Parts: sequence; structure tokens; C-alpha cells
Amino acid sequence: MNFLRAIVGQTLRNLRQTWSSQLVTLLTISLSVLIFSFFFLVYINVLNAGRQLGDNLRLIVYLDEEPSKPLQEEYRQKILKFDRVEKIEFVSSQQAYERFRKQLGHDQDVLEGMPRDFLPPSIEVYPIRSLSSLTRIKRFSDYLQTLPGVLKVQYGREWIDRFYSFVKLMRVVVILSGMLLILTTTFMVAHTIRLTLCSRERELELLRLLGASNHYIRAPFFLEGALQGLAGSVCGLVALYVFFDWIRLRFAGSAMLNLFPFTFFPVPVILAIVAASTLLCASGSFSSTRRILRL
Amino acid sequence: MTAKSPEIMVDLIKVSKTYPPRVHALVDVSLTVHAGEMLFLTGMSGAGKTTLLRLLCRGETPDKGLVEVAGQDLDRLSGSGLQQLRRRIGMAYQDFKLLPRHTVAENIALAMEVAYRKRSFIRKRTRELLEKLRLADKYATPAGELSRGEQQRISIARALANMPDLVLADEPTGNLDRETTALVMDLFREHEERGATIIIATHDRELFSDGSHRVIELTAGQLRSPEEPGRTGEQSLHNEEASQ
Repeated sequence: MNFLRAIVGQTLRNLRQTWSSQLVTLLTISLSVLIFSFFFLVYINVLNAGRQLGDNLRLIVYLDEEPSKPLQEEYRQKILKFDRVEKIEFVSSQQAYERFRKQLGHDQDVLEGMPRDFLPPSIEVYPIRSLSSLTRIKRFSDYLQTLPGVLKVQYGREWIDRFYSFVKLMRVVVILSGMLLILTTTFMVAHTIRLTLCSRERELELLRLLGASNHYIRAPFFLEGALQGLAGSVCGLVALYVFFDWIRLRFAGSAMLNLFPFTFFPVPVILAIVAASTLLCASGSFSSTRRILRL
Repeated sequence: MTAKSPEIMVDLIKVSKTYPPRVHALVDVSLTVHAGEMLFLTGMSGAGKTTLLRLLCRGETPDKGLVEVAGQDLDRLSGSGLQQLRRRIGMAYQDFKLLPRHTVAENIALAMEVAYRKRSFIRKRTRELLEKLRLADKYATPAGELSRGEQQRISIARALANMPDLVLADEPTGNLDRETTALVMDLFREHEERGATIIIATHDRELFSDGSHRVIELTAGQLRSPEEPGRTGEQSLHNEEASQ
């Protein structure tokens, strides 16, 4: 208890005395967290949008002739052998004709004189609703194309390819901004600690002469780094939330926001970002102190 | 490490220290100080008094010889062993070594904080020392705003704060008037009575003029007892012991 009090007292005293350099570090950490979490937020929302779009996704497998019941079962087995799916639906030529007729509405008369089986039978495959199934859809389509009696497989290929490329790009941006966060936080904290150590050289020498333990000397710097990480990440996330809220209010009612709900991080993600930032800063401070003080 | 008699607090055997290029601060110095003893170390400026005190708290390491404090060879001490020993030593430095931006109370508290003393003890002890040194009104004043005499008293208060077993005071009254010197000496005597060993390096002959304490003189890095001018103090004492 006395140890803790002494350490906290030392840390607060130091923060008070070196507030200007602490402020610069805090701003840098906040900015890094803001940049990283902005891209991460966009990435998460893109993933959510992908999941939503995946809900309406289906592969239509056109067949050359009406499959018998045993053949239907065989198709089902082969499809399930490749991947789990949400639903498999067989559509006969007759059913396809009825659907088409309903879709035409008042223009149904254009079908007059046409045979009722002029549309090919098909299998409608609904993949599992997840982004991974979305990214696997091309391979799924290629596989379905190899099944016997299949004329053509149709899905929104172009759209999915573009979407997938965007997701990949976002993933790279998130990784890069994450690396930026790691570099800036550890570098800035190490730099601030180095400045603090230089400005407190006399005090540290005195502490050694008074018999201070290594823990007593090092712990305040460790705590200082952790506090910088904690405060910096909280400030960065608060700034992001303000920005997020502004966007939501500014673009409320726009088609894009209506189509895909734009959401903020869930609590576990917020806690994870704060914890990671705190840990990074604390470790940056720890290694810097250890190296400079040779403790 | 040789276990020493508990009555011996400080034991120096043939200790030499030379600073570059060739300044012989101490030459073959041997000295024994018993626990509870108050010893005055005198000599001209540059005679090696400060070096000797710094050797005793491992602020310096000797080039040659053995330095033992509380039965522990300082040369072999490191890490937590050295830290623990330093907490048992209170040193009042000639240059005070105060932290100018810290308050008087914080400067004094530092010696007790490193020993993880209780907050209540630290507060009480700080006030007690400041009152004894007539500096109670300076409790929250930054040390950098004090006069040299006041800073010197704060340095002494910090040295005594943790109730050390060994007190090393380097010119503790150099900036003090007669009245304040008496206050400081009373405080040292109080700790001597409590059983602390006290070594005071001083120019001020009035401090030991009553003859009640041992006085050792350093001349050009060598020890001499002023009362016996022909004899090289502790050094010859050790030689006699060795020949017996």
C-alpha cells in the first residue's frame, strides 16, 4: 500500500512538472488512435454492409432439363459437399414461367402464344449469410458450373468482385494505420520518457543515493506511460464518436445510410482499443526506462 | 564477506582513491568507527573529507582497500543489498542535493518514501524535523526559494528523516549562524543518543572544542589525530593491532 501511494505520488508529481511534453504526447497518441479507429470503423461497417448484401445473395444454376427427384437429391448432396448453404430451392420451368408472368404484371399478354416451358429449370442456391461466403462465391460458382447438366451459373459477379477488392483495400489500410498507431505510440512515449529522464537526472541520482529500489524508480514511468495510453485512446475515441455522430446527423435520411446502418464500435471493441493503447504505451515506457536507466 | 562485530559500524582498511589525472584524494586510509559514536573529521579543503564520506555511502568506489559499513563490504554490494544499506545511511551533502522545484516537505519525505514508510509517519516526522530546525513555516515552500542556510538545514533534515543507523554530514554548519548551528548539533546529539553513528566532516573547530568526541584530521589524503600530532591516526592504530 505504501509502495503504491509512493508510486502514484511520484507519477502525479512528474505529470505536473512535465505537463507540456506530456500534452504533446497525449495529442499524438490521440491522433494515432483516431486515425486507426476511423479506418477500423469504416472497415467494420463495410463488413456489416457486406453481410447485409449477402442476405439477398443467391446463385442461380440453370439446368438443361427438368431434374427428376433422385437427380434433385444428387444435386443437393453435391452442393452440400462443397459448402454449407442456407437453402437450396429447385425451380421447374413451369414455376419459372409463373414467376415471370407475375413479374410482368399488366404486360402479361406478351407471353401469349409462348410455350409454358420455354424458360429453363434452375436450382437457386442461397449461401450462408456471412462475408466469408461472399468471398468464396466465385469458387462456389466455378464448382457448380462443373456439375452435370448445368447450362450456366448466374450471380452478381461484377458487384461482388468490386466489393471484395474494396474490403481487401480496407483491410490493408486498417493494418497500416494499426502499424502507425504502434509506431507513434511507442516512439512518442519512449521519447517523452527520455526527455523526462534527462530533465530528472539529478533527482534519479539522488533517489539512487537514498537507496530507492529499481521498482520505485521505474514504476512511476511505467504508470505514466500507461496513463498516457489510456488518456490518449479515450480522447481519440471520443473525438471519433463526435465525428461519427456528426456524420450520422448530417447525412440522416440519405440513401446510403438508409441502406446500410452506420454503427459505432461495440463496447468490447472500444475496451480492446483502450487496452491495446494502454499496453503499448506502458511497454514503450518500460523498455525506454530500462534501456536508459540500465535497471 | 567477513562478518564483523556488530559494534563496528564503519571499517576502512588501507583505502586509497585517486582522481584523474593524479589527484590523490585518499592514501592508505584506515579508520574504524564504532556504532553509536560521533566522530568529527576535519582538515583543509581538498584534504579528502568529502571523498571519504562518499566512499561510505558508495557514492564513490575506492581504487584500493576495503570499505565496510555495518559489516558489509561495499565493493561486493550491488542491487537490492546496496539499496537496503543506503536506506540505513543518511547523508547531508555539502551541495545539499535538494530538488529545487519540490517543496521542503517533499524533499524531506523522499528519504522516507524510498523506504516505503507510512504516509502518516512521513507527515509527522517531516513536521517534527522542521519544527526542531525552526523551518515549520517553510513546509510547502519550494526548496529552490530558500536561502542557503535554510537549504542546508533541509538537507540535514532529509539525512535524519529515516532514523538512519549511520549519519554522514559534509560541512553541515558551513552556512549557519551560531544559534542555528546549536540547533543542528542538538539534533545530531539526539540521534547519537538514539544509537546512531555520526560522522561529521567540518572546518568549524567550535563543534568539537568540548573534547567529548573523537576528532580525526585528514591532511593531503592521510589521517591524523590532531591531539597526537606525531601519530597518523587510525592508520597506526591498525598497524599496532596487526603486529600484536
